[in-house]
Amino acid sequence: MMTLIVPIAANNPEYAHKLPQPFRLDDEGTMFCVKAITGLPKDVIRDIYFVILREHDERFMVGEQLAMQFRRHHLANAHVTVLDQPTQSQAETIARAIELNKIEGVVFIKDADCYFTTDEILPQNGVAIYPLENLPIVDPQHKSYVAVDDMFYVTNIIEKRVVSHFFSAGGYCFEDAQEFCCYYERLKDYSPLYLSHIIYTMLLDKKIFRPIQIDGYQDWAVTHVNQ
Amino acid sequence: MKLDIQGHSGCDITIVTEDNELHIHKSTHDAGYVPRLVNQANKQIAASKTEYQHIRVPKIFEVVQTPTDATIKMEYIYSKNFVEYFESAGFEQIKYLIGAIKYFIDLEINHSTLQTVPSSILTDKMADVARKVEKNVHLKDDAEAQELVRRSSDVMNGVGDMVMPVGTCHGDLTFSNILFNGNNYYLIDFLDSFIESPLLDIVKIRQDTAYLWSTLMYHKPFDKVRLSIISEKIDTAIDEYFTEKYDWYRRYYMPLQLMNFLRILQYGHDDKVIAYLKRVIAGQLAILNNSKNA
Repeated sequence: MMTLIVPIAANNPEYAHKLPQPFRLDDEGTMFCVKAITGLPKDVIRDIYFVILREHDERFMVGEQLAMQFRRHHLANAHVTVLDQPTQSQAETIARAIELNKIEGVVFIKDADCYFTTDEILPQNGVAIYPLENLPIVDPQHKSYVAVDDMFYVTNIIEKRVVSHFFSAGGYCFEDAQEFCCYYERLKDYSPLYLSHIIYTMLLDKKIFRPIQIDGYQDWAVTHVNQ
Repeated sequence: MKLDIQGHSGCDITIVTEDNELHIHKSTHDAGYVPRLVNQANKQIAASKTEYQHIRVPKIFEVVQTPTDATIKMEYIYSKNFVEYFESAGFEQIKYLIGAIKYFIDLEINHSTLQTVPSSILTDKMADVARKVEKNVHLKDDAEAQELVRRSSDVMNGVGDMVMPVGTCHGDLTFSNILFNGNNYYLIDFLDSFIESPLLDIVKIRQDTAYLWSTLMYHKPFDKVRLSIISEKIDTAIDEYFTEKYDWYRRYYMPLQLMNFLRILQYGHDDKVIAYLKRVIAGQLAILNNSKNA
């Protein structure tokens, strides 16, 4: 079993008057950040934490709206974690969520601005990958890329440089939440810090990451930054 | 075909097609620089006769010398610079590079002999640095720089005679003097060193891995976080490896790294670089002071 974290704590000047994209509704009335997790296998997920900013909660009442979404989608194990201050990076948002909720063991991080399906998530370090050629329209500058060797191990992950036809599809599995926090602590003074930097540092330390193959990738907001 | 490109040393660098092959012509028209360039070529020729596994040295085909000019004609290497390489290198490539650096320096150590380097080498060099800092228009009125030099002189006076391997070294083994071609690494721009010791090569490579010196000279956009992560990884691996193996490394690395940065400071002319150098030197003095008091 694992814990699912959906970080949505980025602050952006435009959010002063505009609802952040992950909190908007699709045509069926489902919040995009909730829809973002519906393609994941439910049987391996113990708890789900949506991590939001107090500022967004007070301005747009997203906490209450999320609670309604949880009822509608029968997500009894979903919770909202409210951060008082914006974070500097997605990694910080995740570390704060782990710390506040005393999360242990395997964590799966799911970006709120995209969707994919996968049948299985193994309790091991991994990165969801998707081939570029399967996308009808590509904005290569807003993605990180994942190199995989012949034995299907991740050997490299790079921001915004096309070193592989696989890009990182916005799903990351860490087999030990506390280990993730240790790496975050080690790298937290770097800016801008991306999850790809943390994963690359772990690769350099001989931690093994496997690619997670996914289907049906949808990118909802290439221009939005979601922490 | 001739293509002129920018070099680091002030020499003219030209890419020339001869017999359907690309060659590099490195030349100087400064009579004062001619002996230095010729020595560089001789050192590179000597190094190219040794097999270093993945570390290689471009072949020199000809050295043309007159009293006022010199030209080195050498092999052209299709390669990436260190930033381009690190921007795309997977973890295995970084592992190979660490292994190659250790292997290269160990081979240099095997080709050297343990010798006593008299304390005067260091104190004379320190006196020379102090004179140059005193004359440097960008530093002579800089009280902080003068104080750092004074404190550094005290450190150098306390080092004494040093026993270390002497015989072989590249002389300027920074990342900017390594060309990256797959898992092969080509060394260029050999230099005479004030102590011909492999320890000075460790000092120079750690000038980049520990202090990110070459990135300061790199002006195109790049992922600074990724490069810092890689540099730290290489630095830790090198430091742990040589700390465990050699007493002379544990004893003399830090004073020689301090001297290395003082020798850069003495020619400082850019405010940003001088501020960086003063920060580094102050940090090194603090480490040396702490280890003395420990």
